[in-house]
Amino acid sequence: MNRKRRGLPTTTILVAVVVGVVAIILCCCILLFLNRYRSAMVLSARTSTAQAVSQVSNTVGSYLQGMEQAMSQVELAMGEEPDSRDRLLSSFLRFRPDVVAITSYSESGELLDCWSLGREPRESILQNLSFDPVRAQASDGPYMTAPHVESIFENYYPWVVTMTAPLEAGGGAAWVSLDLSFSSISSYINNVGIGQRGYCFLMDRDGTIVYHPQQRLLYAGLKSEDTSSLAALADGTYADDTVIYSLAGVAGDEWRVVGISYVDELVNQNVKAMLRLSVAMAAVILAASLLTSWLLSHLLGRPLRGLAAAMERFESDADHFAYRPVGGTREVRELSSSFGHMVVRIQQLMSTVREEEVNLRKTELKALQAQINPHFLYNTLDSIAWMCEQGRSADAVSMVHALARLFRISISRGHELIPIAREIEHAESYLQIQKYRYKNRFTYEFLVDPDCLDYYCNKITLQPIIENAITHGLELMVDEGHITVQICQDGGDILFRVRDNGVGMNQEQVDAILAQRPGDNAGIGIRNVDDRLKIYFGRGYGLHITSELDVGTCVEIRMPKVRGDEHAES
Amino acid sequence: MRRADWTAVLLAAVLLCLSACGGESQPAARHSVTLVAKSTQTEFWLSVFAGAEAAAAEYNLDLTTIGPATEEDYEAQNRMIQQAVEGGTEALVFSAIDFTRNAPAIDAAAQSGVHIVSIDSGVDSSQVSTYIGTDNYAAGRMAAQAALEQVEGPLRVGLVNYDEGTANGQERERGVLDALSECGRATVAGEVTTLVDAAQAQADTAWLLSQNPDINLLLAFNEPTSVGAAQAVEALGLEDEVFLVGFDSNVATIEGLQSGSVDALIVQNPYAMGYLGVESAYRLLAGQGEGLEPMVDTSTQIVSRSNLFTLDSQKALFAFEQSSH
Repeated sequence: MNRKRRGLPTTTILVAVVVGVVAIILCCCILLFLNRYRSAMVLSARTSTAQAVSQVSNTVGSYLQGMEQAMSQVELAMGEEPDSRDRLLSSFLRFRPDVVAITSYSESGELLDCWSLGREPRESILQNLSFDPVRAQASDGPYMTAPHVESIFENYYPWVVTMTAPLEAGGGAAWVSLDLSFSSISSYINNVGIGQRGYCFLMDRDGTIVYHPQQRLLYAGLKSEDTSSLAALADGTYADDTVIYSLAGVAGDEWRVVGISYVDELVNQNVKAMLRLSVAMAAVILAASLLTSWLLSHLLGRPLRGLAAAMERFESDADHFAYRPVGGTREVRELSSSFGHMVVRIQQLMSTVREEEVNLRKTELKALQAQINPHFLYNTLDSIAWMCEQGRSADAVSMVHALARLFRISISRGHELIPIAREIEHAESYLQIQKYRYKNRFTYEFLVDPDCLDYYCNKITLQPIIENAITHGLELMVDEGHITVQICQDGGDILFRVRDNGVGMNQEQVDAILAQRPGDNAGIGIRNVDDRLKIYFGRGYGLHITSELDVGTCVEIRMPKVRGDEHAES
Repeated sequence: MRRADWTAVLLAAVLLCLSACGGESQPAARHSVTLVAKSTQTEFWLSVFAGAEAAAAEYNLDLTTIGPATEEDYEAQNRMIQQAVEGGTEALVFSAIDFTRNAPAIDAAAQSGVHIVSIDSGVDSSQVSTYIGTDNYAAGRMAAQAALEQVEGPLRVGLVNYDEGTANGQERERGVLDALSECGRATVAGEVTTLVDAAQAQADTAWLLSQNPDINLLLAFNEPTSVGAAQAVEALGLEDEVFLVGFDSNVATIEGLQSGSVDALIVQNPYAMGYLGVESAYRLLAGQGEGLEPMVDTSTQIVSRSNLFTLDSQKALFAFEQSSH
């Protein structure tokens, strides 16, 4: 569990790295793209402004040109006789409805004649804006006025542009004026839109506004145009942060067309829209990359985690581990099957090792049995012979019986586990023989829980302990020794307890006995007993020695309750 | 498993964000603005509409202009306001016929979240975001001043006003009366309250003049009353005896200026009222309402016979869009 918490899992790292890289790349791309897009938009805004302005300039130019053509026709007509002149002019007026009036003036500037379709000039004209004698005198040839209101008719005040031309002397009239309606130009200019709010206006070379679509706001001071600085600029297109100006002169005239458009709406709004679009796209791409990397890491990560978990389980309990292969990509499957092979191999090796260990102990036991028995046998036989010589035939007989029982049980037809009753019989036979040999220098007793008798135990478990108690505890004693063998149940376990009242041992001696290698001493070592228990039943079982000098030693043997020969010969 | 959940939540969030972005990138719907005028006939109001339409085109607004048949019908205005609100308008540009009796309708409209811009003539409501129009009191003083400069001697004054509930007419009259009483040589001979209709105004003015033949200064307070007064003066042949000051420009009063029946005109800037009114409505709708002044004075100008054809007067008096005739 602890290992899992250490460090981030692959999934998170993979997702973070992929998404991070994609996000950085996207940011760079968006910035680059928007930058380029903005400059392109500015360029196109300038172009469209310039185009609008040049269109207006062309239109105004052709309007003025048309006016000059009309003027030349009027001049021609003025040279005719009065009758044909009137006829010509009235048909001219019918064809040119945009001509509001044609007026002729005497040398002194008085209105002589007026031709207009269906209108007559008022009797007393307050001020005639179509003709200015001072300017007419000063001018060499034809000239044109700024737009003004036609002021010579009653109830009719259209805006017009007037062209005045001097006539050849002798015809009666000295000047002729042509008033051309300005509404076509003004409505044209009004309708020119550059973007949503951009517009065009007309001004003259000095910067005086000739016509502005919002001139009522201008004159009310609610809006202003910086015409003086615009007048200083040459024709062309100029852009600052918020506004694009474009200027173009009208051909052959002193009027100029100014176009104004707003960077904000032509450029910034588009850039903003594009930014939104890019962000949306970036979000889609990020989501896609997130999803992809997440899927990918799951494809890899989950089987890997499964594998890791399997390894962990294997590590904690190799014996009972059953491996289930993990699915996933080919690499993972290969890894999984390798691990599967390894698990099988390790489990084989482990069982081989255990078998070998068991075999080793068995062989050892058998070897030791083979080794000690003769020695013990000689002594016992000597004792029996001596008993016979003494004529104690009854003792000799029971001795021989005990010896026979000892060997029978020792061999037990090769079984490792024998019923506890048999083991007790074995231990008692041994004690009986040793008691004869030690000439009753010790006594012994068995305290056995009868319920334990049916359980099984390893053979020759008690004998080495008793042998140790006699040789190390009682042999050196002066007083009579006593050995108690107790067998009882302890929960699911069986406890064997061999207690003596001998000289006892210190801790070093205890450790030495447990570390004893076979062959150091004649007899099956205590250690061999411990090893066999542990091999058979696991680490929780085996021997435990408590000893106190001059008090005695107690050896406790713990083993599970085993019925029958379940564990035998595994 | 928790990580998977977390990732799913994140994904969902991203997708939500996406849909939000997608929704936002669609072009915003056009705001709808309704201009409720006092009339749809007079040149003054046509000029207001021209300005309003120019602003609507510039700011891409869906503009509706409506007005009652007569300039006394405040109830029709109230109905129009209600209908406009029901029709889903987002802002009202409004000129009140009646200062007080139009107020409940305006309050109700503001209650339902409609922005209110007042032009030309105010309304008694605290819901008005801004007033755009003439400073009517100052315009009234200006009218009196124009007369005082031109006419010498004691003044016997006749007033031709319209609906007593209308704010702008009353404000102008107050300005006139204040200026006249300050000069000390003027007395009000008579006043007539007429309908905003030239024929009725002419009859009422004629009656006023006949009742008070000593009147030598006549003031009329809006376009139709000025036209009616001018026609009455002309019909009675009193061009030289009576100094007439009118409001707003009309072909008839301009003729009167030239023929002598009208002596001065106080010309407002209806185009600016329409334009700025709609522009203010746009700014309120676009959430830029903080910068709005509570009152914007569109300029006024005195036009008399002497400056009738100066370039400024031409631009003030004569619409380029003139398409009649």
